Amino acid sequence: MNSLAEYFHTDWEAMTTNDWVGLVMTVVTFLLMVGLYFYALRPKNRDKLEKNRFIPMDEDRIDSGEKNGG
Amino acid sequence: MDAAAEQKYNLGIVRWFTVMAVVYLVVGTLVGTYVASELAWPFLNFDIPYLTFGRLRPLHTNAVIFAFGGCALMATSFYSVQRTCGVRLWSDKLAWFVFIGWNLIIVSAVITLPLGINQAKEYAELEWPIDLAIAVVWLVYMFNFIMTLATRKSSHIYVSNWFFLGMMVMITYLHVVNSLAIPVDLFKSYSLFSGVQDAMIQWWWGHNAVGFYLTAGFLGIMYYFVPKQAGRPVYSYRLSVIHFWALMFGYVWLGAHHLQYTALPDWTGSLGAAVSIAMIIPSWGGAVNGMMTLSGAWDKLRTDYVLRFLIMSLAFYAMSTFEGPIMSIKTVNALSHYTDWTVGHVHSGALGWVAMVAIGAIYHMMTRTFHTEMWSTKLINAHFWTATIGTVVYVVAMWVSGIMQGLMWRAYDEYGTLAYTFAESVEAMHPYYAMRAIGGMIFVTGALLMLINVLMTVRKAASEGSVRAASTAAVSA
Repeated sequence: MNSLAEYFHTDWEAMTTNDWVGLVMTVVTFLLMVGLYFYALRPKNRDKLEKNRFIPMDEDRIDSGEKNGG
Repeated sequence: MDAAAEQKYNLGIVRWFTVMAVVYLVVGTLVGTYVASELAWPFLNFDIPYLTFGRLRPLHTNAVIFAFGGCALMATSFYSVQRTCGVRLWSDKLAWFVFIGWNLIIVSAVITLPLGINQAKEYAELEWPIDLAIAVVWLVYMFNFIMTLATRKSSHIYVSNWFFLGMMVMITYLHVVNSLAIPVDLFKSYSLFSGVQDAMIQWWWGHNAVGFYLTAGFLGIMYYFVPKQAGRPVYSYRLSVIHFWALMFGYVWLGAHHLQYTALPDWTGSLGAAVSIAMIIPSWGGAVNGMMTLSGAWDKLRTDYVLRFLIMSLAFYAMSTFEGPIMSIKTVNALSHYTDWTVGHVHSGALGWVAMVAIGAIYHMMTRTFHTEMWSTKLINAHFWTATIGTVVYVVAMWVSGIMQGLMWRAYDEYGTLAYTFAESVEAMHPYYAMRAIGGMIFVTGALLMLINVLMTVRKAASEGSVRAASTAAVSA
């Protein structure tokens, strides 16, 4: 067994319920973060997200319903 | 004069929170400077128990974090949520309940902490009846904020409100769990947790108070007030979305890095350090996002003193969010832990980031809620330089002192025995403790200049009748 395989060796039999809950939460969080980066950086979503930059600049017109489809 | 805003929004509550934040800034930093002076010149205890470091230090931390920080957060969140949602606060009565309740909690802290009534949990020292009051007032604050968002006229909730809301949700959860205790009488309780679990809960709270209260909340301030003061939209909205979610997902894992080399399982400390390093990416993304908002308009920094506070705060934010992860690495932590380096790191974030961004926002709100110019622009400039120089002097003193402490504590002679006694290391710290106290005094001087300027502006507004004029002026529909 090489040292890398040794380093990543896991005794799955010894995993407690807490260990499994922690593992699942960590993996789910990681996947959600990957999804977030994909969503936010996807060129298709650029205009949709970036138009919200102007809200503090246009706040006086927000109540008129002209902005953000309000 | 913005008569439309005065009549449409509840700016009265913002005015009160804003002025009280400045009062508490002076009180909190004054107490901090006094306790720093006690460490340099211990006779300042005067053998009076109420003035000892152990009793005044929690008063200092509670005053700056919850009194100054709390009032600044409540002022800015109530101000910006109304303006970005185009609606008045959902309930004026609940807003005033929060103002009165929060200030009564602060008064109760000022009374109980010098008397030694203390839960001995860092940044959560207040006893259980006050903890309950904090939970009630905080929930009312959050409820009013959420209901204001729910009644908004814009379809999108601007990112500053996400940060404020993230802070509110997480602080509720953290405060309630960390404060779980069994009361034995009105002024004494014992934590529900013990041993290493207590330590873990303590630092889960402790670091997340930094992460969600002093970082997420103040990033809410940054994302609204930097674009407003600069007159330019934030550099990248997409980056702000990533910044928000990465912060929310990431910060909760970090607490264990405060407990390296303790009874806590080794892997938890490693996990805390690994996620701390990963957090550099969103933190720097946020800092760059704020700074690049000025892209193409850097000349504004020459003349706009308020903007200087906001941009300087981002420089300190970037610096301390790099320093923190580095200190969490076990090799570095072996040197830095329990030394003044930690104190220097905390104050680089607290004075440089939290205080400066809040101060910038407060100056911004003063002119827009009192409908008049600041009494003295020169005083704002003087405040900027005293705040910056005071912070740098303080932080440099603690860096030198902390690294020296760490090196002295681990030094061995040729026989393998410790080269220095603990008392020798304390003696070696004296010049740096004096330097730290001087740094604090410079910072307090700036805070006093701000208080004078703010009170004179309130007086000026009263003599001009600007608030009354704004609230009665005819406004076109």
